[in-house]
Amino acid sequence: MTVVEQTGAPKTTPPGRRRPSPLGSKWTPYLFLAPAALFILVFQAVPLVQEVYLSFTRTRLLNPTRSEWVGLDNFNRIFGDPEFHRTLLITFVYVITCVVVAIGAGLVVALLLNRKFRGRGVARALVTVPWAAPGIAVALIATWMLNAQYGIVNRFLDAVGLGVPGGAILDSPRYALPAVLATTIWQLFPFTSVVLLSALQSVPQDLNEAATVDGAGRWATFRAVTWQVIKPTVGLLALLMTIWSLRRFELIWLMTKGGPVGATETLVIDLYSQAFDSKELGSAAAIGMVGVVISLIVIIGSRLVARAVEKGDVR
Amino acid sequence: MRRFRFGVTARIVAVLVVLGVAVFPLYWMFVTALSSNSDLFADQPRLTPDLGQFGVFVDALAEGKAAGWLLNSLIIAVGTMVLSVGLGIPLGYALSRFSFWGKAVLTVVLLFTQMLPEALMVVPLFALFRRFELLDSLTGLVLVNSAFVLPIVALILKGAIDGIPKELEEAARADGARPFTTLTRINVPLIAPSIAATAVIAFFHAWNEYVFAVTFIFNPDLQPASVGIANFIGELGTPIQTVMAVAFLFTLPAVAFYLLVQKYVVSGMTAGAVKG
Repeated sequence: MTVVEQTGAPKTTPPGRRRPSPLGSKWTPYLFLAPAALFILVFQAVPLVQEVYLSFTRTRLLNPTRSEWVGLDNFNRIFGDPEFHRTLLITFVYVITCVVVAIGAGLVVALLLNRKFRGRGVARALVTVPWAAPGIAVALIATWMLNAQYGIVNRFLDAVGLGVPGGAILDSPRYALPAVLATTIWQLFPFTSVVLLSALQSVPQDLNEAATVDGAGRWATFRAVTWQVIKPTVGLLALLMTIWSLRRFELIWLMTKGGPVGATETLVIDLYSQAFDSKELGSAAAIGMVGVVISLIVIIGSRLVARAVEKGDVR
Repeated sequence: MRRFRFGVTARIVAVLVVLGVAVFPLYWMFVTALSSNSDLFADQPRLTPDLGQFGVFVDALAEGKAAGWLLNSLIIAVGTMVLSVGLGIPLGYALSRFSFWGKAVLTVVLLFTQMLPEALMVVPLFALFRRFELLDSLTGLVLVNSAFVLPIVALILKGAIDGIPKELEEAARADGARPFTTLTRINVPLIAPSIAATAVIAFFHAWNEYVFAVTFIFNPDLQPASVGIANFIGELGTPIQTVMAVAFLFTLPAVAFYLLVQKYVVSGMTAGAVKG
């Protein structure tokens, strides 16, 4: 705050002497944004640049001030490592499943809640509960519900004859990822359904009726009318879900720490354990950069697709 | 007619199933907190809370460190809320009302920060915190949490200010009001609901934050509740009822406040992304 006032003080015109433009001097916007911009510069931009630099060095957590420039070594090493290939594959599976299932489930719930019925307001509020719950609390309750001996999930699965032998779902290389995915999607589907629900409000009802009168079936009506209206929203949600899932950390970390034997190790988990377990800051930064580049490709790609779709549409 | 009835029943059942799935885990947290040991480890678990055990919530706060954790979380969250909204209002105003050199870059940066994982930034931030002696301090967490929630706060407030007719400001300006006065007297009261929503977002961003808190705080007396509760996972010393009671007290305010401002939060998050 003080910095701004210092830099700004000589540049503002004293009141009454001259009023150059209706919006104040040309420095006015910078006065408003400088404190926030400074904050973002110090806590986001500078650390990011440092992280980019680290990815080209060999740096140990125990002696971080001594780093040795190694060029592309970190990237060559991780891309040559079969375990990293598996991390990429798991990240891909995790992200795609989150996107598809969270949006699919959200759409089903949104269509259900779009009908008028008594208590709809309460139902809409209750559905958002998972999204509002803190990730830490979700990880804790999920771990307890999945507890091998006393967890309610195992008791239920045993009762219906689908029990996992031994019951230790989160310790099983086969079931840990599905369990983490189910927990993630439980937390995400309220968000997708609330957003889709508001998109459904703008579906013109008379068009729906017209389609029905014309003899179109439910599915055909949905595709011809509803889907066309909500398509941009679905695209936006897919982008958000992708980015959020690429960067999700605490839920996975607290449920499995990336285990058992790497079965739930996504890029972010891999980067964190490289930094704090293996104490290799350089490799950790390189893994992080791979994640950032993937996110950038997704964002830019989605912009290009959106633009192409816009051009294709004759309005 | 028969088919219609069936459809209605099926829909009611489906809605109830969805609500059950949505609410059950938190309900189960509550039930577990209020279980006697014999219920907890019985062959047939008790599915309803035993209200006679209500003292567990009092005990959870009176004994152990939970009250201190929640207080630390509260301090961090209030600090983050004040700082990020305080910085976000002028930034949102600048983005909404002015055109200036670097505006496009700034907007892209704000959106870009949304994809940076905390786990990636934690290493360079650790070095920064050590240099400025911010390790082991709640102030440090307030600063970093504010920086991370600031972009979304600013984008939501920009959207809110976009919705206010410019004529109102022009009238004030014609009366000789300076830009800062216009912002505080005209815009701020009109976007009060959005400010409240961003305050809630910022508060619970800090309330829920874990990665920075677990990395930058070593003194157990300064731990926030997110770290304290996360440490319960895999730990066997504390009775599970106490664990769930603390977690429930931690979760309840987050859920309650989010429900209040849900509409603004959702529109803000999607608006922030659309403009990308």
